[in-house]
Amino acid sequence: MTTHLVRPGADMTPSLAAAPTFDLDAVLASIDTMAAQKPVAAQVVSVANAEDTDAKALSQTLALDVALASRVMKLANSAYFGMRGRVTSLQFAVTVIGFTTVRTMATVALTDLDDESRLPADFWRMSTGAALAASLLAPRFGERPQDALCLGLLAPVGIALLHHNDPEGHRELTAAESTCLGRRTAEVRRYGIHALRLTAVALEQWGFPSSMIAPLSAVDDLAAHEGALLRAALELASRLTVVDYVPVPVEELTGGVLREDAVPPVLDRVAAEADELRLAMLGD
Amino acid sequence: MSASTVPAEPLVSPEIVSSIFYGAAVSDALVLLVAEMVAGTPRLTWGNEGAVQLLGYALSDLCALPVSALVPTLRGGEIKLLLRRERSARMSLPVRTASGALVETVVLCTPSPSGRMWTLRLVPAANEQERALRATADAHERRFATLTERSPIPTLLSEQGMRLAHVNDAFCSLTGLQAEQLLGTGWMAVVHPDDLDGVIEQVVAVLGGGDGEAQARLVRDDGTERTTVIRFAHLFTPGVGAGFVGTIEDITDRLAFEARLAHQANHDPLTGLPNRTLLAGHVAGRFRPGSSGLACLFLDLDNFKVVNDSLGHAAGDELLVEVAARLRATVRPGDLVARFGGDEFVVICEGVDEADAVTLAERIGAALARPLRLGGVDVRPHASVGVTVQTAEHTDAEELIRDCDIAMYQAKAGGKGRITVLDQQARAEARDKLRLVTELRQAIEDRAITLLYQPIFSTADGTPVAVESLARWQHAERGAISPATFVALAEDSGLISGLGLLVLDETCRQLAEWDAALGVSAPGRANVNVSALQLDGNLAQQVADALARHGLHASRLSVEITESALMKDPASAREVLTELRALGVQLAIDDFGTGYSSLAYLRHLPVDCLKVDRSFVAELADGHTEIASAVIALAKNLGLSTVAEGVETAEQAAELARLGAGFLQGFRLAQPMTGAATAAWFADRVR
Repeated sequence: MTTHLVRPGADMTPSLAAAPTFDLDAVLASIDTMAAQKPVAAQVVSVANAEDTDAKALSQTLALDVALASRVMKLANSAYFGMRGRVTSLQFAVTVIGFTTVRTMATVALTDLDDESRLPADFWRMSTGAALAASLLAPRFGERPQDALCLGLLAPVGIALLHHNDPEGHRELTAAESTCLGRRTAEVRRYGIHALRLTAVALEQWGFPSSMIAPLSAVDDLAAHEGALLRAALELASRLTVVDYVPVPVEELTGGVLREDAVPPVLDRVAAEADELRLAMLGD
Repeated sequence: MSASTVPAEPLVSPEIVSSIFYGAAVSDALVLLVAEMVAGTPRLTWGNEGAVQLLGYALSDLCALPVSALVPTLRGGEIKLLLRRERSARMSLPVRTASGALVETVVLCTPSPSGRMWTLRLVPAANEQERALRATADAHERRFATLTERSPIPTLLSEQGMRLAHVNDAFCSLTGLQAEQLLGTGWMAVVHPDDLDGVIEQVVAVLGGGDGEAQARLVRDDGTERTTVIRFAHLFTPGVGAGFVGTIEDITDRLAFEARLAHQANHDPLTGLPNRTLLAGHVAGRFRPGSSGLACLFLDLDNFKVVNDSLGHAAGDELLVEVAARLRATVRPGDLVARFGGDEFVVICEGVDEADAVTLAERIGAALARPLRLGGVDVRPHASVGVTVQTAEHTDAEELIRDCDIAMYQAKAGGKGRITVLDQQARAEARDKLRLVTELRQAIEDRAITLLYQPIFSTADGTPVAVESLARWQHAERGAISPATFVALAEDSGLISGLGLLVLDETCRQLAEWDAALGVSAPGRANVNVSALQLDGNLAQQVADALARHGLHASRLSVEITESALMKDPASAREVLTELRALGVQLAIDDFGTGYSSLAYLRHLPVDCLKVDRSFVAELADGHTEIASAVIALAKNLGLSTVAEGVETAEQAAELARLGAGFLQGFRLAQPMTGAATAAWFADRVR
């Protein structure tokens, strides 16, 4: 993959010609290719998405991928779900962690997110941080915690995809921009699409429900309520992960739903649980 | 997952293609558009009837529209996401209509093989019916949320494992924490660590379907504990997974109330010490047959009755409370101090030998002996202490306490303020006594206590005028048991009333039988012995009943009461004697001269006869006539008759007659005989 950096001071208006040699079509095509390369994970995603699925059917499919199944067991018994080793069957594990989370883990496997060598530094700290923050804040925004957890975990899929296709360029871009919004703007400039939007496209392509996709699509629209939780979660994860991060007031990001004084306890909980979740997700 | 585009092959005839195109073009159920790259910009170049209707554009206006105007959320390069060169795409997008309104749709886009033209199919995302259903579902959810939020019952909602998605205000109040601190697994920190496993077990069961409940203590933010019952119900959300609804009942106050009741049932209200019930349970719970190390100390306060009688019951209570406090302060932690009843206390210790137990008893004795001021008087409480350490011979917990009780009585018998360890012999004796009591009870019930009758003679003419009934017990294994033994046993074990009634009734029955057999030759009177413990308000009635039952006149009976029995409670004894006298029975004072009675008092008792004790009669043989003579003279002066007991020789008989004794009784004169032998003996005398 050829890398083209954007000239400083270049036109910020996104256009198809912004990174003419970055082949978005190829990136999109790779999303399908991934599914073909990991058929069981793709099948799990598909089964989990079905309206009429049940724990038995999902666990039967999941059992075909031993590595993924063991991660599901590990996560179900992790401190995050509080079950303290009581989860001894895969079917019960699926029940405990929920279908959405199973689907998320399959997606992680599908997109090679479990291979940290191919990811940006701090990728998992960022995604587990965003996931936990989203999960903890979800009730304030009228969302289900587990859906929010999965959204937080999967939101950075687009970053991984961009990074896979343009490791150097994306690394420099990330280093140069210290805010979430700044990075997204730079990504649009360079690739014609920012990472979260790319995530939305990928998830839509894999058949995820619109409730997962809408927040990703609405993340840049500060007036849109449905993107508010994701913006807040990413902001909190950045505060924990990015060195010298300059915080953006959460009131602005959430239309006043979340106030700064509610943030510290959430940050404490996220910091306390993130490692455990990351280890469970990666299966180390 | 998206499918690859299939190249269009001319597999069907132009007529069919034309027909399909026509059908598609005029359909208003199908929304179809075609986009092409025009001068580097993708624009719509065709639309069918459905597209015209949905979007509100005239076909001519539609056909120049940039695709970006149709899907305004795809900004800049994002159009590429939809208009892909080699693959079809499917995106949920709002499309802008001619009026500017946005309609949520799913846009399916298929590229032509050239890669410069795309067919777009728009499917409106949700129809009115679906929206209405969703609105109804949302309303249900809001109603449920409102219900739980305002409910006074603490409620939890988990949608995944132990993770809570929702808690209501009542639960926040119960724990003293904010919802954010409880959500997720935060609430697990509130559950007492010792109870958490039980809660998780229930959740595991409930997530698998069904209901469950667990009792758990919740630790509030201020450190206080509330005991609760958490009831779990299975909750399944289609497409999501299993969770639970938990409702919580705070049972702290109820348990406290029950505990108070249980405490009251097991504790002495005055001293607050465990009572006999709790003691029994405590010892039973620690008693292991064949093991050792369990010790029992049985304490009985000496002279407690004196304190009660002289200083009043309030002082007595004060003493008991103080003794309880001293006992508690003296024993080791873990030892049990119980109030056994009245002025009796029991201490139970574990892991001690006899020497340890005795040392503790000594320490207790010293602690109790410190002076205590009661009602202005300094009192030094003392206790008799029995000590028992469990041995292999103890088969149950009750035996241990019973032995300790025996040891205490031995201590008491040995003098006050003593400590006695129950030795094997004492234990065996006590056991033997217990067995004998059981057998005596049975003997009384079976009327196996028999009566012998010893004639009493008049000194005037040597004729037999009466008999004395003497109870005998012939034990199947032990042989004859002395009356001194079994009467005392009956008095100690509450059997004296039954024994007395038996003697009374059998004597009357025998008299009636003799009357029937001998007529006027039958014994004129029978003397019956009555114990001190029978001297109560019932005795006169019991005598009257026995006489009536056998059709006898009261004059046929004489009731003998020992001098010492009369002196135990002289006032009430006098009352009972008066009642008996009123019946018409005669009254004799037995063993006269041995009871230190006040002669002045004797004068006021309504008795007819004094029985000169056999010890004074025996002295006659040695030439000591003083006491027998004095007693006989005293009786004469008081107008009473006399019976001399234990007359063994003719000389004694002659001497007693000379001293003025009215009647004689003794082995030398006539031995005690059975009823039948007595009848024959009297019949012989007549002949």
